[in-house]
Amino acid sequence: MIQVNHLTKKFGEFTAVNDVSFEIKAGETFALLGPNGSGKTTALKCLVGLMPPTAGEIKVDGADVWKDARRAKSLMSYLPQYVNFHDNLTAREVMQFYCKLRKLPAARIDDVMKGSHFNFNGFTDKPVSQFSGGMLQRLGLAVASLPDAPILLLDEPTASLDPERAIQFREFLANLKQAGKTIVFTSHVLADVEQLADRVAILVGGKLVALESITALRQNLMLGSQMRVELLNPGASLIAAAQNAGANQITAQESALLITSAPEARMEILAAIETAGGKVVRFATEEPSLEDIYLQYIKQESTI
Amino acid sequence: MDINAVTTIAKQELTINIRNKWTLIFAGVFSVLVLAISYFGMITAGAIGFQGFTRTSASLLNLVLYIVPLVALVMGTLSFTSEKGASEMLFAQPVTRGEIWLGKLLGLFGSMLTATLIGFGLGGFVIAMKAGTAGALRYPLFVGFSLLLALVFLSLSALIAALCQRKNRAFGVVMFLWFFFVLFYDLLVIGGTFLFKERTANHFIFASLFGNPVDMTRVGSLIVLNGKEIFGVAGAALMKFFGGEVTSISLLVLGMTVWIVAPFLLSQRLLKRQDI
Repeated sequence: MIQVNHLTKKFGEFTAVNDVSFEIKAGETFALLGPNGSGKTTALKCLVGLMPPTAGEIKVDGADVWKDARRAKSLMSYLPQYVNFHDNLTAREVMQFYCKLRKLPAARIDDVMKGSHFNFNGFTDKPVSQFSGGMLQRLGLAVASLPDAPILLLDEPTASLDPERAIQFREFLANLKQAGKTIVFTSHVLADVEQLADRVAILVGGKLVALESITALRQNLMLGSQMRVELLNPGASLIAAAQNAGANQITAQESALLITSAPEARMEILAAIETAGGKVVRFATEEPSLEDIYLQYIKQESTI
Repeated sequence: MDINAVTTIAKQELTINIRNKWTLIFAGVFSVLVLAISYFGMITAGAIGFQGFTRTSASLLNLVLYIVPLVALVMGTLSFTSEKGASEMLFAQPVTRGEIWLGKLLGLFGSMLTATLIGFGLGGFVIAMKAGTAGALRYPLFVGFSLLLALVFLSLSALIAALCQRKNRAFGVVMFLWFFFVLFYDLLVIGGTFLFKERTANHFIFASLFGNPVDMTRVGSLIVLNGKEIFGVAGAALMKFFGGEVTSISLLVLGMTVWIVAPFLLSQRLLKRQDI
């Protein structure tokens, strides 16, 4: 559905996206994951035709985003990170405008508004100036939903939503995913990526450092999760017992053991330590952060 | 060219400008100016009362030359450098950048046209009632030149927006451009005449008209407002140089058209490969 070939975007001397290539299949939910300044928003803007690439090409269903922009853009709907509309227009007028621009029937507005996610609590005919950040984001999404385009591109879609709205939003995207839409989104929120994405492209410093299925990413996350077990009687026999029970890596720290393992092996490891005579005072688990994952990939990249 | 997209954007632009009061303020300012100038125009001669169309237009001209470019530049810059989120959403639609730009220009011109017609129309109606309709046919021609001037400066604001991209930088250039065309240009031309002999200097002055849309509007308006009476010897020489009244007006309108089209096409060319 979307082919990105050797995409490079430079701002003067600064390279924001560096020779990135990937393909997104129809019906796939694809996440561009990366820390701030990694080039994910720039890559998305190139995809949607807001920024011309310095080199490389992007094709949407065979249509070049720059050479055949009208056709390529007609297949896409885009929600920017910071949504903004003219203050003195109402939500309905904003939607009417985009409806006319896309040559959609006016009835489409009511179809979209029926969705529970777009309940503006009586604000539909109020000026946009009275909208909160979250409401603006929802209005943006309502506008992006109008054309019912096969591809939806979203830039940090949950960044300005409160936790409740973020959950609702994920549900909304899950429904779109079920309906067969191709969804591309940028995020630095791991929860969004884990719940929604089929595949993840990790960008660091403008470079594509990993292109993984979400299953492979989860595997990496699991490998990185740690358990800290504090003991009254640490000893070599307990380390051996933990290793036999499935620990991948063990570091002894005075009265504690730092154990890296798959999450499902944790209870077995604890039981094995106790069976071997270990007296567990307390234990705690530590999940790897996004930074840990990026660092892991950067490390891998630098060793290649 | 998708006409539906252009008209949709133009209508939206017009709605926005009417809602944010620019159009009404501009209409109000013009109404007041027309009436005040018509009523108090003869105060230095010791008389007050409504004057006819020709005298009012001639007095009004200098104010129009100051206000119209400024309002057009400000309104245009505000619109062409609109907020990032709104621009991103609009430019991501399946419409070309040229269509967006043209739609905005037409919408802005529509709001200036509305304001000018209301402002000059109301004023003109009162003058016609109080001072008669003599010169009333030339009055719309003067309004027409004002509208051409507005379109020139809207087109220039599109170019400034494409060049500067950021609002605050664009406003700096807008202020410079306004001062340049309204004040500095004539000083430069007068200074330039010292470099030439008398005959060449005259030709230089006449030709320099085409370098400044404000001067073109001034001269064009004076010609349509019965130039022979107002203009005097210099005007007669100018019309002789250009080949008569009709040719002069035609050349000036052509010159203004170039000033509308060229900056706008250049702005589109710049916008074509710009980051949004």
